[in-house]
Amino acid sequence: MKLGKRWLPAHVLVWSYAVLLIVPLYYFLASAFKTNDEIFAHPFALPTSFGFGNFRTAFDSADLGLAVVNSALVTVLALVLTLGLALPAAFALARSTGRLASAVEKVFSLGFLVPTFAALFPTFLLAAATGLFHTRTFMVLFLPATAMPLSVVILVQFMRTIPKEMEEAARMDGASTFAVLRHVYVPMCMPGIATVLLLNFLTFWNEYLYSLVIIGPDPAQRTVQVALPTLKSITGTDYGVLTAGTVLTLVPVWVVYTLLQKRMQQALVSGAVKM
Amino acid sequence: MTTLTPPPGDTTVRRPGPPSAAAVRRSPRQGGTVLAVPALVWYLVFMVGPLIAIFVVAVLHWPGMLQPVSFAGLGNVRTVLGDPVFRDAVRNTAVQLAVALPVMIVCAYMLGYYVAQKPPGHRVIRYLLFIPGLISTPAKAMVFYAALSPDGLANGALESVGLGSLTDAWLASPSTALACLIALDVWAGIGFTAVLFAARLGSVPDELGEAAQLDGAGHWRTMWLVHFPVIRDYVGVVTMLQFLWTLFGSAQHVLLLTQGGPGSSSTTLSFLVYQKAFIAADLGYSQTVGVVLFLAGLVGLLAIRRAFRQNY
Repeated sequence: MKLGKRWLPAHVLVWSYAVLLIVPLYYFLASAFKTNDEIFAHPFALPTSFGFGNFRTAFDSADLGLAVVNSALVTVLALVLTLGLALPAAFALARSTGRLASAVEKVFSLGFLVPTFAALFPTFLLAAATGLFHTRTFMVLFLPATAMPLSVVILVQFMRTIPKEMEEAARMDGASTFAVLRHVYVPMCMPGIATVLLLNFLTFWNEYLYSLVIIGPDPAQRTVQVALPTLKSITGTDYGVLTAGTVLTLVPVWVVYTLLQKRMQQALVSGAVKM
Repeated sequence: MTTLTPPPGDTTVRRPGPPSAAAVRRSPRQGGTVLAVPALVWYLVFMVGPLIAIFVVAVLHWPGMLQPVSFAGLGNVRTVLGDPVFRDAVRNTAVQLAVALPVMIVCAYMLGYYVAQKPPGHRVIRYLLFIPGLISTPAKAMVFYAALSPDGLANGALESVGLGSLTDAWLASPSTALACLIALDVWAGIGFTAVLFAARLGSVPDELGEAAQLDGAGHWRTMWLVHFPVIRDYVGVVTMLQFLWTLFGSAQHVLLLTQGGPGSSSTTLSFLVYQKAFIAADLGYSQTVGVVLFLAGLVGLLAIRRAFRQNY
């Protein structure tokens, strides 16, 4: 369809919203290289020098370096565990036609309707009861559970598209069930695995409230999302340091997004609405 | 509800036909269902268990982690219902949902329609719309903190155009604190929701819009009277998601930006759950509000589902 002159207001509105999205990012990036005085005087001016002083302060005052390591550790281990649980489960559900399997699948698809935040306090109790309170270990165990519904449903959808003959052929050659999973199903649903990994990478890396409550404020254990808001109070809000810290937490996500833009967009779109 | 945005390569969904007797004999059920057990157990222990525990703690009198626990029955319900803070929280949550949700969905739908028409620059727009979906809650909150704190961007901008009298401590003023939180929801929500709509609208056949144009319908009418009914179901699902995210997720924004204050002017239900559990240490109260929140979520979901039921 052609877009006539009457679309002018639409163009203007859409691009103003786009500006609203991009300006804060620019402001953060620019301020990360400025002092408080410069930020207040010329909030949108380009920084005059590109020193890493603010980044260094952010690193030191909030122990961000350690926090990044903690976040990376939690994210990677939780991703491994998620795949370790979801792949066999999806494999089982995709292949079997029994009533039990479809009931299990239904349990997982209903999981979308359970917002992860709902049970914050009981989860905290669980952490205390298992003796894993104030540890990263509990988050590594807990995060995959929150990701299970989405991951299983996405993987099942991909595995259903794999023809049965593939498995039969492998069986002829004497493959065990595990070998079928490993050498037939996993290689053939790599796009699904990528989707699951990308989506969960985002949620795990960005997870805030549970990390705050369960891992707590101990600088040796806390993740970067928990460390970040502390910059607000420690420094009497030095905006240069605050923005430098924020930029730092965004870097991994931004790098992944830019490298895998198409795939990431597909993953986000297909992951959001699966009920 | 079914998936409406199939993953790539999902075009050849196999419908298993009835297996022939020979095939059944050749490949007996090759086990493997047991492989789903670990994932299921994990899910039940870490997600469903705690969810059930909410209802248990809600009937307990439990004034702090290390305090003795006693059975309270409906005592907590009475305390909660009689508490003016709870009533404020209900009101704030209702206002938040009533303003944020319609604005978000309507704007996102129109924006999604705009992007789906592939106007010049739509690729750039699409790239930008994903931004709120990528950045974490603390980072989003820091953006708003930098913009709205007393010496932040908004006040600076007002002063520089000579409207210094309009400056305010936006996040610390009873009249604007809640509005700031709603603005954050809307700012972050529109972009990502619009992308979802654009993806779905992209799969509506072009002929539909073209036919409407031939009949003399403009874009406005095509958008609302032709395309909207087609993806009505999908709009419902997205609305349900945003409803849940807003209802349950607001705790994090409140915690990071206003702490529920000043007074209780920006306390939402989900923040009240957090605050009573981890700050005020009134655990029975907290989880009673949790039950209320859960029921509100359920009722809201059913209502939205009904409102968006496909009706052609």
